[in-house]
Amino acid sequence: MSESSEGEDVRELFVQDGVLLFSATASFINFVKSVGTLMITEYVDNRRFVEWKPIDVTVDSDIQDQEWAVVNTVERRVRTLSGNVLPEHKNRSKYLRINFEEIKSFRISDKSRRLTFNDGKTEQICTYLFQHGNCEHLVGFLKTLVKTVPSRRDKHLFIILNMNDPERERIDKSFAELNVCNDSNYVWNIWNFQERPVVTTLEAFAKITDLVYRVPQHREMDDDVKEILNKSITEYQHTSTTLSNGEYEVIDCVSDLPNRRDFPRGRALCSEQWNGVQDQEGRIEDSECLKLIIFQGGIVPSLRQEVWKYLLDYYPWNSTHSDRQKLILQKSDEYFSMKLQWKTMTKTQEDNFTDYKERKTQIEKDVTRTDRTIDFYAGDNNPNLQVLNDILMTYVMYNFDLGYVQGMSDLLSPILHLMQSEVDAFWCFVGFMNQLSANFDADQVGMKEQLSNLHTLLAFIDPELATYLDNHDSGNMFFCFRWLLVWFKRELSEEDCMSFWEVMWTGFPCENFHLLVCCAILDQEKQSIIGNNYGFTEILKHINELSGQLNIEKILNDAQGIFYQIKESDRLTDVIRVLLGLPVLYNSSLDNHETSPFVISIETSNESSNHPPECSVDDVRISPEEIQFEKSISSNFI
Amino acid sequence: MEHTEPHSTEPEMANRQGAAQRPNGAQGKICQFKLVLLGESAVGKSSLVLRFVKGQFHEYQESTIGAAFLTQTVCLDDTTVKFEIWDTAGQERYHSLAPMYYRGAQAAIVVYDITNQDTFGRAKTWVKELQRQASPTIVIALAGNKQDLANKRMVEYEEAQTYAEENGLLFMETSAKTALNVNDIFLAIAKKLPKYDQNQGQSGQGQGRRLAEGDQGAKTPGNCCK
Ligand SMILES: Nc1nc2c(ncn2[C@@H]2O[C@H](COP(=O)(O)OP(=O)(O)OP(=O)(O)O)[C@@H](O)[C@H]2O)c(=O)[nH]1
Ligand SMILES: [Mg+2]
Repeated sequence: MSESSEGEDVRELFVQDGVLLFSATASFINFVKSVGTLMITEYVDNRRFVEWKPIDVTVDSDIQDQEWAVVNTVERRVRTLSGNVLPEHKNRSKYLRINFEEIKSFRISDKSRRLTFNDGKTEQICTYLFQHGNCEHLVGFLKTLVKTVPSRRDKHLFIILNMNDPERERIDKSFAELNVCNDSNYVWNIWNFQERPVVTTLEAFAKITDLVYRVPQHREMDDDVKEILNKSITEYQHTSTTLSNGEYEVIDCVSDLPNRRDFPRGRALCSEQWNGVQDQEGRIEDSECLKLIIFQGGIVPSLRQEVWKYLLDYYPWNSTHSDRQKLILQKSDEYFSMKLQWKTMTKTQEDNFTDYKERKTQIEKDVTRTDRTIDFYAGDNNPNLQVLNDILMTYVMYNFDLGYVQGMSDLLSPILHLMQSEVDAFWCFVGFMNQLSANFDADQVGMKEQLSNLHTLLAFIDPELATYLDNHDSGNMFFCFRWLLVWFKRELSEEDCMSFWEVMWTGFPCENFHLLVCCAILDQEKQSIIGNNYGFTEILKHINELSGQLNIEKILNDAQGIFYQIKESDRLTDVIRVLLGLPVLYNSSLDNHETSPFVISIETSNESSNHPPECSVDDVRISPEEIQFEKSISSNFI
Repeated sequence: MEHTEPHSTEPEMANRQGAAQRPNGAQGKICQFKLVLLGESAVGKSSLVLRFVKGQFHEYQESTIGAAFLTQTVCLDDTTVKFEIWDTAGQERYHSLAPMYYRGAQAAIVVYDITNQDTFGRAKTWVKELQRQASPTIVIALAGNKQDLANKRMVEYEEAQTYAEENGLLFMETSAKTALNVNDIFLAIAKKLPKYDQNQGQSGQGQGRRLAEGDQGAKTPGNCCK
């Protein structure tokens, strides 16, 4: 928000009277609750603003609570002017002016009577109340000037795809490389032109942006857009060859992966199927087939308790009834003897054993605050908390090096709830920890590696988003830390979490599938992140706030779709193959993976997409010591 | 379980949207500060933030994984102060991540639990680390939390106060449960921070995260809130 300087040539493109300033930042506090005129203006330098000027009628502060009061002194006036250069602009300095560039989104509420502009950070810029009628005229006009998309999360919120956005600029710049395939359903391969077509109308850009930003499954294009595009095309060439003349940077936001297919969830594994696959003695013959069923549809809840023991390597798939009876006895003995070890530790022993004591204290601290909202763990002195505690303590004796790290109680909680048995829960937990122990490394190596792998995968699937994150201090993917550490336990309801974990435990369809799950969610949130121009803090906040909002079926569907997009991609690299456990072809060397062919940059010597920049906050002053310090952090962390 | 705030020392909280609405319409300054909470696990960092930002207390507040980010805006004399608060995970295992959060912070609250001597020792280590590694102008406050459990006290008030004085820290005993001194400690920090009016800057609202840094002019008494 800025105060305008005087004496500029300005055109009022749109004017509406009787608009009350409902809230604004402190510098316009004097005018809050005043009525005025709202305008959309354009200055000679082509900058556009939303401007509001007060008239001398102030609403009594007594009635502030009524949101707004009708003031009868103002006549209704809505008009759209064009080409009308105003002679008097002496008083514009008092106006509340918002540069179009500042507006990242706006929200319409209160039956279209209330309009709020947001700056894309966490703040709103200001809110207006429309006393006469509603804001639809204004919004309608605004939409002719800027391209907006409704937010996925809030249908009243419209995100502006800003003309001056770097993304937009790239789209502009790279317009030349766009081409339309004949298949109207799927487009956006990258092409290169030798000549830059002239694109004149804003509308054309708006439509292109719209297409580029749209989620892949609804890529359809109006005929007039096709026409615009086709007119602009002079010559083209497929990118995966090379770019010949270094004039434009290839728009890397348009992925050339195959179309994303849909993988609707299947039916959950049921008792008939389960019993059907066991032989007379209780062996499970085709465990791979079973896992595939589970991967596609999960397990019916009543069967979970039994099947999880196999998935978590407590029961071997090929064990017979009698094998398992023996196993249970033996594992039970083993458990209780380990439990006895810590149960019989004396106070002096503990005092002389700092590492042990630390683990013990941390477990006590965490057990009291793990899933207490779930009935099974709710209430004071709930005996299940003691069991949770005992299992974790016994795990310390089982694997002292790993010990106990925050997050583990989250992993155990659903298992114990399901198993309802201390011994079974312990051994299933052991199986789970065998898969996840790297998450709890003392030096965080395991987590760093996963975060970096996630970045590698994302850069392959969606270079635009990966680049955006790199440029916004988020290339370390740290905002996904909680997702990965406890496998979405904090993001999902207990029921969803169980469904999710069992799918992951099958090991289908590839290694590191959980990272593709992350990519699927990020793909879904891309619009909000980029559209709002979020930085490090906003991204982390946004991602944390997805907790409780994720639709696990959709995410699994998308993640599977992404997997096949990668697998069937003709630019699949060995690094990606290795990450996903796919066979590496042609003995090709792993060394030349770094620059994947699709991220081509000309003129600009982009850093490799695998290395996020250390710091790129523009408006921040950083002292030399701090730069030094930041370097040491990123070298420690990345 | 929630406890309503029984308590009087309420600062003038701005509304949720952060737009400071001042009855008599004086033109206010807007400052934005990054604040980080550090301290041993379970001392009540998240609880203090939850109390300050939402006025709530959860007996079974879950442990923090990674970090959480929240904001709160307070009005202080003629200035609107917006806190960008980073709440970190306390366990030693996650220590290596902390620098990501305290880098560039203008303020830190180091929290310990008055019923647990070890957590006080840990707090001192945090203070040392901040003094060595964080921004040299960082304002550090020490919070002895869980003051409502004073009957189980293991850290004496005087001991902590002396330590705080020696190290130039703000110090208060707090209780996220009863709300004692929670707003006060944030306000005390706000008062100590150099104010620089964001509205006068080129950048407009919400742009720079570290506005105060390197801006020595901002520290002249005339620009500070009393
Ligand atoms: N009696 C009392 N209990 C408190 C107070 N503050 C926090 N607690 C309790 O202490 C426990 C831990 O609080 P948290 O806020 O989760 O602690 P934390 O410092 O954020 O812990 P980590 O996230 O593990 O680093 C919770 O059970 C809280 O209810 C307080 O002022 N008084
Ligand atoms: Mg916490």
